[in-house]
Amino acid sequence: MMPVGSTGMDAAKKPVTVIINGRRCRADAGERILSVAIREKIAIPHLCYEASLDPYGACRLCLVEVIKRGKNEMTTSCTLWATEGLDVVTDTPDIVKHRNILFELYLAQAPKSEIIKKMAAQYGVTKTRFFKKVNPADPLGNACILCGLCVRVCDEIMGAGAITFVNRGPYTVVNTPFSEVTRDCLGCGACAKVCPTGAIRIDDLEGERVMTSWSGTRVPLVQCRACGRFFAPQALAAKTLARLTPALAGDVAALCPECRGQQIAEREIRAKTGGAGNHA
Amino acid sequence: MKIKSKSDLAARRRIGAAKITPGTPRIAVGLATCGAAVGGDRIYERLHEIIQTGNLDILLTKVGCIGYCKEEPLVNITIPGKPLVILHRVNEADADTIIRAVLAGDVLDDKALCRIPAWDHVTGHTQQYGTGFDRIPLYADVPFFRHQKKVILRNAGLINPEDIDEYIAVGGYQAAFQALTGMTPEAVIDEVEKSGLRGRGGAGFPTGLKWRITRDAQADKKYIICNADEGDPGAYMNRNEMESDPHMLIEGMIIGAYAMGVDEGLIYIRAEYPLAIQRLKHAIREAREAGLLGKNIFGTTFCFDIEIAIGAGAFVCGESTALVASIEGKTGRPHPRPPRLTDIGGGLWGKPTDLNNVETWCNVPVIIKNGSGWYAQIGAHGNTGTKVFSLVGKVDRVGLVEVPLGTSLSTIVFDIGNGGAAQKKVKAVQTGGPSGGCIPVRLFDTPMDYESLNNAGSIMGSGGIVVMDEETNMVDIARYFINFATGESCGKCVPCREGLKHTLLLLNKILAGKGTKADLETLAILVDTIQATSLCGLGQTAPNPVLTTLAYFRDEYDALVRS
Repeated sequence: MMPVGSTGMDAAKKPVTVIINGRRCRADAGERILSVAIREKIAIPHLCYEASLDPYGACRLCLVEVIKRGKNEMTTSCTLWATEGLDVVTDTPDIVKHRNILFELYLAQAPKSEIIKKMAAQYGVTKTRFFKKVNPADPLGNACILCGLCVRVCDEIMGAGAITFVNRGPYTVVNTPFSEVTRDCLGCGACAKVCPTGAIRIDDLEGERVMTSWSGTRVPLVQCRACGRFFAPQALAAKTLARLTPALAGDVAALCPECRGQQIAEREIRAKTGGAGNHA
Repeated sequence: MKIKSKSDLAARRRIGAAKITPGTPRIAVGLATCGAAVGGDRIYERLHEIIQTGNLDILLTKVGCIGYCKEEPLVNITIPGKPLVILHRVNEADADTIIRAVLAGDVLDDKALCRIPAWDHVTGHTQQYGTGFDRIPLYADVPFFRHQKKVILRNAGLINPEDIDEYIAVGGYQAAFQALTGMTPEAVIDEVEKSGLRGRGGAGFPTGLKWRITRDAQADKKYIICNADEGDPGAYMNRNEMESDPHMLIEGMIIGAYAMGVDEGLIYIRAEYPLAIQRLKHAIREAREAGLLGKNIFGTTFCFDIEIAIGAGAFVCGESTALVASIEGKTGRPHPRPPRLTDIGGGLWGKPTDLNNVETWCNVPVIIKNGSGWYAQIGAHGNTGTKVFSLVGKVDRVGLVEVPLGTSLSTIVFDIGNGGAAQKKVKAVQTGGPSGGCIPVRLFDTPMDYESLNNAGSIMGSGGIVVMDEETNMVDIARYFINFATGESCGKCVPCREGLKHTLLLLNKILAGKGTKADLETLAILVDTIQATSLCGLGQTAPNPVLTTLAYFRDEYDALVRS
């Protein structure tokens, strides 16, 4: 989704200057302030932000205050668009106060997440006054904070939509439809890759990838025709190959990245040296 | 027959007038959901049976609700030349005696609530009923009605909501005719802006400005939506507006669509309102047949139609971005604004969209018909017009009341509502539903306007007023609303999803007598953060019941906790 209105598409990519904690920073008009801060190495904690996904604003940790006509207004920097002269500050007493409560809520929600504990501790929050929820049967190991990154990456980037939010309010969880094995899962593992708390469990067995957190959905893997190693989910490999020219696809089908690199290198060398490979 | 000219409209008015005062007796049963719930349907059936079997010359019809819920079921009797008489607390067994009296040109004294010799339908039409029955109190002398000013509810309980002719007879669709045939879209927006009308959904955003923003948005397609997802516990203003006078809403939307240059409108209505849905569908059909919806309305080049979208039972879908997601078939979860609905990319199917509450749309015809100057005189400065409130809870006279904005809470609760039920002392009211706050009786001088309510820690909201008496435990009230908000949170952002859950756990602990002073402090800190950091209005306002009860009834909390 593109920013609109005064910060709209027409103005996108136009360079602007924003001020973060008094420091002048270059930004593209319409860029998100959190993205600017990350580039400028200004620390703002965040859990639900990913540059390639639509703005979401759910974790509420990336709070900043916008200084407007002498008044400060608190908002999330992942949903705040860069405009010329935009003046924001981080870590004000109000932000710290509210953020600490949010960290306490996270510690209660995901008591088993070492990443959350470490992150909260960095901001001085080491315990929570709130009741800790522990469900021994939680497929996400009591580490999910419902940031939605896995759901969004599965839908927006992979186009699979294999997992989603189930229920609402405090009963919300992420899972496959009806908590059953799903045929929509490509087994790509993007969900686990973006998960900020490492809550999603995937196990690669011989010839199969088990999406342990997603109702144990099993995805067959492709075996490398050169080395015999299982390296990629079949559905994902088929999807990728379909985007290549038939000649190239034939060249790389069923080859793991290492063997593919090796074979291409050998072929190139043979072509250059007239067939006589000489490594000496 | 399609209405294309002033004379077509006048012809339909005559047809409608002959139904309202038919020259024979007319009996009209109050059959909004509230009337049906207390047996109105059975009374209607019984009356119908008697009239059929006796082949009697009596016109039996349905009307909506005039708002006096405590006195239901209500039945109107119109005998030619006599005032309209409202009978109250009628039951099935009264049907025979009612009919006998009517045939004798009379009404039952012990059932008569009041008489209406003439009724001002506000849009330039005064319905003359007749004289006589002087022994029955006048409408204006009934305490429940005396302090009210009926503008939005001007037709409610008096006309048949399932008959477009009756709406036209009392002045309906004149404003739309006037706008479409004699005003530019800009002039319509000017008029709405000058009226000072503010959004009746609760936030009070200037309606004319929202319309102007939508009109000015550059896009090949735009939409208007009516928000009929009324979901506050104890609030049913919009339900009655749609059930009692659906054409008023449709007319408002036609005028708005014309002003904003929109050809497609939607009414997003909650599934829990089956009768309102049925009446709206019927009204839309009638309006299409009359050429008031569809192509070339009133024979002009303007085309506009309305579809109904039915919600699936989520309170949060009253929030604008969640509402649009729900219509698009997505999960009803709010997204951060901007983009707003009126922005390109922000509205329905990505198109600029104007969203207004039912009652906001209902205000439009009367503004166009009577002019912004007339309208702006009602109410208070910056808070013009009337507002319909549902007065419920532990109050003597339960019902829907319409008063000018700026009327004090004390007028509503004591003068109209007659104070606590069963002679109990009133302690507080909750305004604005789960997003509102509790206002103690010592602040009942507070005028009901957007700013004063905010200053008192509450909100206007859609207009629910829940009365609490001396026996109500205010901590329990806070828990009730937090429980509601927790269950209705969409679960997207942390402060609302997790914060409200822990607020509820803390309140449960306190109410169980296991709370400590430290818990009270935690509670206060937590709700402060929920309010400050939630993503959408639901979370931002959900702590209000706790914040206000903590501010005004701290002693009730202190009494429950151990030191």
